[in-house]
Amino acid sequence: MMTLKNLERKLLKADAKQARLYLFCHFVSLLLITAYSAMMYSPTVLTVFPEGGDSRKQMTAIFVLALFGCVVFTIYASGLFFRNKARQLGTLMALGISRRRLLPGLLCEVLFLSSVSGLAGILAGFPFLWLLWNSFRLFITDSSQMALRLDFKCLYLSALFFVIVVFCSCQNAWRYLRRTDVMDIMHEEHRNEPVKAVGPWCGPVGILLVFTGAVLGYKAPGLYQKAFSAYSPAWLEALLYMPAFPGLYMIMLHTVVHGWHSRKKHPYKNLIAKSMMKFQGKQTVNNLLVIAVLIAGGAFGIFYLPTLSIGRTMEINSRPYDYYYHYRQDQKIPGKEEISALAKKYGISLRDFQSVPYISLAMDGITRIEDEDNSFHLERIPFLKEARCLSADDFAAVSGEKIHVEKGCYMAVSNSDETGLYFLNATAETFTNMVTFETLSTRFSGYVHYDFLADRMGYYVLNDEDYRNISSGLTPDFMGRAAFFNIDGEDSYEFAQDFFYTLVDSFGPECETTDYYDRAQKYYARLQGEVYWVDTDSSTKISFSRPDESDFRLYWQYMPKIRILDKEDFSKTFSVFLMMFLFIAIICSLAAMVICYTRCMTIALNNRYVFDDLKRLGAPPAFLRKEIRGQAGPVFKIPAAVGMTLIYLLYILIMVGNDGKLTYSEIASLSGCFFILAALAAIYYLVYRYTVKSMCRNLEILQTF
Amino acid sequence: MLYVKNLHKSYRTGNKSFPVLKGINLSVADREFVAVMGPSGSGKSTLLNCISCYIPFEEGSISLGGQTLKGMDEKALAKVRNEKLGFVFQDFMLLDGLTVRENILLPRIIQEKVEQDAEELADSLLSLFGIAHIADKYPADISGGEKQRTAVARSLINKPLLILADEPTGNLDSKSSRTVIESFEEARKSLGASIFMVTHDSFAASFCDRVILLKDGMVYDTLEAEPGHREDGRGAFWDRLLKAIREMNDEDSTQCGPGGIKPPTAMKGGKM
Repeated sequence: MMTLKNLERKLLKADAKQARLYLFCHFVSLLLITAYSAMMYSPTVLTVFPEGGDSRKQMTAIFVLALFGCVVFTIYASGLFFRNKARQLGTLMALGISRRRLLPGLLCEVLFLSSVSGLAGILAGFPFLWLLWNSFRLFITDSSQMALRLDFKCLYLSALFFVIVVFCSCQNAWRYLRRTDVMDIMHEEHRNEPVKAVGPWCGPVGILLVFTGAVLGYKAPGLYQKAFSAYSPAWLEALLYMPAFPGLYMIMLHTVVHGWHSRKKHPYKNLIAKSMMKFQGKQTVNNLLVIAVLIAGGAFGIFYLPTLSIGRTMEINSRPYDYYYHYRQDQKIPGKEEISALAKKYGISLRDFQSVPYISLAMDGITRIEDEDNSFHLERIPFLKEARCLSADDFAAVSGEKIHVEKGCYMAVSNSDETGLYFLNATAETFTNMVTFETLSTRFSGYVHYDFLADRMGYYVLNDEDYRNISSGLTPDFMGRAAFFNIDGEDSYEFAQDFFYTLVDSFGPECETTDYYDRAQKYYARLQGEVYWVDTDSSTKISFSRPDESDFRLYWQYMPKIRILDKEDFSKTFSVFLMMFLFIAIICSLAAMVICYTRCMTIALNNRYVFDDLKRLGAPPAFLRKEIRGQAGPVFKIPAAVGMTLIYLLYILIMVGNDGKLTYSEIASLSGCFFILAALAAIYYLVYRYTVKSMCRNLEILQTF
Repeated sequence: MLYVKNLHKSYRTGNKSFPVLKGINLSVADREFVAVMGPSGSGKSTLLNCISCYIPFEEGSISLGGQTLKGMDEKALAKVRNEKLGFVFQDFMLLDGLTVRENILLPRIIQEKVEQDAEELADSLLSLFGIAHIADKYPADISGGEKQRTAVARSLINKPLLILADEPTGNLDSKSSRTVIESFEEARKSLGASIFMVTHDSFAASFCDRVILLKDGMVYDTLEAEPGHREDGRGAFWDRLLKAIREMNDEDSTQCGPGGIKPPTAMKGGKM
């Protein structure tokens, strides 16, 4: 006997075709979210991405965007499912079944469909991640650090996403059933969703709001700090960025309602496509917004690649010496003869070898001390940092630039663009010999430019006589040498590698430290009765046994600069960073493409009758294809154009905002980003072409392009 | 059996209220076949939807078999729809995932009472309406006329007090329209069904005992067919009906746009 349960089971089976889109969207979103969160929690990534660093923040910010996008498109897919199901629900209600009796079956169906697709998505997320990551390793770059390790805590995020989506789908189901008007439910399938009429001011105001939000959000924290000597609260930054979102919405709305071309000249051009778009506008605008955000997120992720690689390549190419290394004088480091002998083994020889001494002193300075309640104050600290100091003569010998440093003064070595000034201390009044505790009164007298010696620890140049005086009594561990040489002819990677490993092996365990390690700060901490943070923080540890790891090569205090090694090993050293951001870009772009495709297929399905009518009116296939392109085009082109343009402008803003100008390497990076955007746009175009073909196939329109 | 008294219904758009039904009074007797006609926007479908309890109304009362329909809770309304009313829609509203036979049994399935008698009744309805040969087919595999006859059979499975039909011939060709109207005739004759039909089709309406003309949300006229008109006088009743429609349209010529009921020019027996 047929019961209501049997009936529901039979209808569920029959609904499988209708549910396909919902299942697909739910599956894809869970697959993407699981894969992304698995990478976010992966020890492979977490051990390389510094805690509190920009890379982690970027990774999390883009994840939030991807999560938002996936939630929206899954809810949208569930809405479509209920829309298609509305006729069935309406008929059952018309025949006398109450909402209360329908609800459990409907919720069971939603739960069943969500669970099946969601679990499949979660399960598929891991092989998908494994496949993608190992493809990177196989085809792009590989290093020991890239071995994929997973922490299944990431499943909490997938579970949270699953719960949100299922909850929203159930709420959607209830929303459909709750309507008092049965006729409304029955005719839901044929209902249009026209957008509200808005004036032509909508688009320009939207653009203005986007720029206002971007500038306010970006600039406000700095202004707040200046005005209130406190860090701005996170909510304020979020609030100030807010106008960008309604602005983006208004741009999309304007695009759907008015378009950006004047219709006065050709009022009938694309009239059908435009009117169809307008009548499905509500969902289209929402979709365009999500797609634009995802495209922007993906582009922001992939910008990391050209920015890092172009900047790094330019820095490496501009080095005046092939090799540079420095060491404490208490270490037994190979000298010119040993290195020459090593080079000889590889059939090469050294030229331009020179080495200069430097001394390590403590310098005082003004720094920002963080108080409670997010505020801070400036305070002079007697042992602010350890400084490597050169005499003016030695600096001239290395750089070839004769400089004059007055007695009682010091200069800081910066790069020519002066982009890393925040690493240098321009407020010192005293240098202290850390052995005898003799002091030297001093005054900052400006920057001297030499890119090669500009790094995070910083070099300072003293007057020759001051240098001699303050050096007196220093033990070898506070004295060092910086050595430089070139290779006569073509360099050998094997030699470079051998030299690097030999150098690492020559250092004692007291030098197994990162460039955070600062003996002046450690001394001051002890003086204050505190434990020096670097001694206890595990993130600052590196090991001589793993000299090829990115942590070692990026942060070792005595890391040499070797042109050929840095060039050849670039992708290995930064492999996890580069591949993670490539991964993020792929995830976001994939999500955006799936939404574009889904939306276009929905438009085709919902407007089948329009195309059938046009066929009956004698519209040739070429005309129908044009109308299809008129529907699919905006779904792909508008968010791609808006998302890419806005993120590119934001990136320029960030680069200018860093130091108030665009340096040569930043301009080169921006050019690289532009080419990447062009490549991304080409991929979107190919997907667009494929989608148009699918739409034509679906609507049985002859496909001759 | 069905009494509609002083029925008022309006739709709201923003702050504006548009009255659609302005005090309708009508009744349908047992075994009576009544049609409602009127130009587009006259309130026919709204009237039907109010009687079907699909949409709420503001003023007036509707009683069916002595039971007042206003103020009932959802459970009671669902019971009325299921047991006392049968529905036939313009676009059939069959469930695509169920066979013809299962679709007919649907109101019983909803009641959880698909017993031997229901199965037998379904089979006899299948035979009565000439659709027994497609009993195991799905809606996608049958013609429009067959779909509508399935819908008529479905509306009768619970032996309702009243069948409500909304433009039942609206999506059908003249031959299929005729078979559907004949199905209603058969239902009345064999099963004693009462039918209340909203239609634009004057040919279909000419089969009824009574035709109510609606205009601007009010009853404009009521035409009663002479007894036995189906056998010998249907043509005369159709002529009277067409005349009344023409008068209604002429009265306000500005209303005789595309939505108005136009006097037929087709041959008798054809669909208007």
